[in-house]
Amino acid sequence: MDKPNLIESIIPCSGHYSLKKDLHLNAWLAVATATYVAELYLTTRHPDWSPLTRGLIALAPLIPGFLYIRGWLQFIRGLDELQRRIQLEAFLFTALGTIIVGTVIDTLNASGVSLGFLRHGLGLGGAFMVMFTLWLLAGAVVNCRYK
Amino acid sequence: MKSKMRELRTLAQWSQSELAERLGVSRQTINAIETEKYDPSLPLAFKIAALFKQPIEEIFTGGA
Repeated sequence: MDKPNLIESIIPCSGHYSLKKDLHLNAWLAVATATYVAELYLTTRHPDWSPLTRGLIALAPLIPGFLYIRGWLQFIRGLDELQRRIQLEAFLFTALGTIIVGTVIDTLNASGVSLGFLRHGLGLGGAFMVMFTLWLLAGAVVNCRYK
Repeated sequence: MKSKMRELRTLAQWSQSELAERLGVSRQTINAIETEKYDPSLPLAFKIAALFKQPIEEIFTGGA
């Protein structure tokens, strides 16, 4: 019988942590982050470039982003059914939570409330951070329910 | 859903981990089924029934 993927295999200090599996799953996130940083650098340093070039550069982080999502989908497909259910519930919570946080920030900005570094909205980096935090939180809560 | 899985597993003298390995699921899944916190999918229920050589309705019965 094939062994199912374990979510603990990508959580450090969980006792089942596998660096190989973690790197395999999260390497595209590192590439996406590096591409995003390069994109920010290029688009701020070269405002003179054509809109098409700037647009293509701005969208470049989406490619490793999609590959990252694909890796996750493959990993989730390999989880056993309870883990898959836990992760899907956690992802649903994460997606809805991020939409709510983004909407609240935009609404506050539109009403003139000063939000400091969030005055232009959540942004890609902020959205990733909110999603990661909410996923950890939701995973822990849903996991406890089935303990 | 009520389940006789713990009883059958104990009779077979398997640990939760052993049963999990035989069924290709995690130990947490076995525990959640035994403590009635989670109802297995139909394919998993069939696997459990086949492993214990019992009809599904003997192992799992309705009711909260």
